[in-house]
Amino acid sequence: MYRISSIACMLFFCVFVHAQNDSIVSTVNDSTKIKLKYGLRIGGDIGKLIRTSVDNDYTGFEIMADYRLKEKMYIAGEIGFEEKNTINDYLNITTKGSYIKGGVDFNMYENWLNMDNMIYAGFRVGASTFSHDLNSFQVYSIDQYWAPQLTSTTKQELTGLTAFWGEIILGMKAEILNNLYLGLNVQLKISASQTIPNNFDNVYIPGFGKTYDSSGIGAGYSYFLAYRVPLYKKVK
Amino acid sequence: MKYFKVLIIPILLIAALSISCERDDICPNATATTPRLIIDLLDASNPDVAKNVFDLIVVGVENDMLLEDPVPEYVFTDTDNLVLPLKTTDNTTEYILIKEATTNDNGTPDDTTDDTTDGNYDRIIINYSREQVFVSRACGFKTIFKNVTLTIEDVNNDGRWMLSREPLTDNQSVEDETTTHFNVSH
Repeated sequence: MYRISSIACMLFFCVFVHAQNDSIVSTVNDSTKIKLKYGLRIGGDIGKLIRTSVDNDYTGFEIMADYRLKEKMYIAGEIGFEEKNTINDYLNITTKGSYIKGGVDFNMYENWLNMDNMIYAGFRVGASTFSHDLNSFQVYSIDQYWAPQLTSTTKQELTGLTAFWGEIILGMKAEILNNLYLGLNVQLKISASQTIPNNFDNVYIPGFGKTYDSSGIGAGYSYFLAYRVPLYKKVK
Repeated sequence: MKYFKVLIIPILLIAALSISCERDDICPNATATTPRLIIDLLDASNPDVAKNVFDLIVVGVENDMLLEDPVPEYVFTDTDNLVLPLKTTDNTTEYILIKEATTNDNGTPDDTTDDTTDGNYDRIIINYSREQVFVSRACGFKTIFKNVTLTIEDVNNDGRWMLSREPLTDNQSVEDETTTHFNVSH
């Protein structure tokens, strides 16, 4: 990248030096004008793909897209599905569902010349519809005089659940090839509302991730590859 | 290339963090889970006063172990209070309660295999219906017991030492261990 930049730099000064000798000033302006690419960027979450192949208890995929509205502002969204097994000594739960998120990203990175990378902060609102399958459970008892405790293997399905949340995103996107981007972000989620199933709890919410008993805070990350479909260019 | 380096470090950090955070699901001991039945032993001649039973042994019917939990207190113990775990797999739990128990060595003090326990044997039969209640992700479900009844039966025709029993409320349920569920006078 440094090499490309320095070559670009040298070219720039070449033209500049050359232009000083020239009496027509307008050519100078042309060469310093930087045109920004505007377009729809579409990507897939490769982090979730890797996790799907490595983790037997997880299946998931996410498609993300953003569209440049202004020089530093992008409208962005994600859509995805997740299936997650939550298994411990006493519970065996399969949660599955899909989610959609929408919001805005702000680029905080000052690009050089025609570079087009992002270090960004953004926010999202997210919604998920999901279901839990309680595959089995064993009753918890501190006293084990009458062991083993009752084990239920009758599958119980808790369907039609929804959740809504807000999200703060920090991330970066780097153009590794022309119009091809590699990016990652971390997400801090704050639960707004969720349907709590009768005599049960949402141990996992697709899109939101693992929930915690003590607070409505969640966390997530994504690692993605995206391609920008260039639509038009606009002078900075 | 420098972007790859920049990207990979936080990815590894996040991956490590998410894996290490996964296993924090331990049920705290302070959480109220499946409750046990609590019985107070009262004086039959003065039902407001607790009365100790001496050298008590408690053993579950169809259970080879003596009841030694929560503390090894139901083996030759003097107590006015019983805390009995109930089966979560069945609607009936039975216990044998031996009052003033002594060990009979059958004339062979060195051989403990033929030892028997003498004393006044009574059987209590606890019937109930069960309900599974969700506690938390770490603790899973607990069982609570509804419509609990307690019956005292004589064993060995030596008379019941437990004379009467009384639930604390109508349709006595066992949902927590904060209060006594039955009073038994002797």
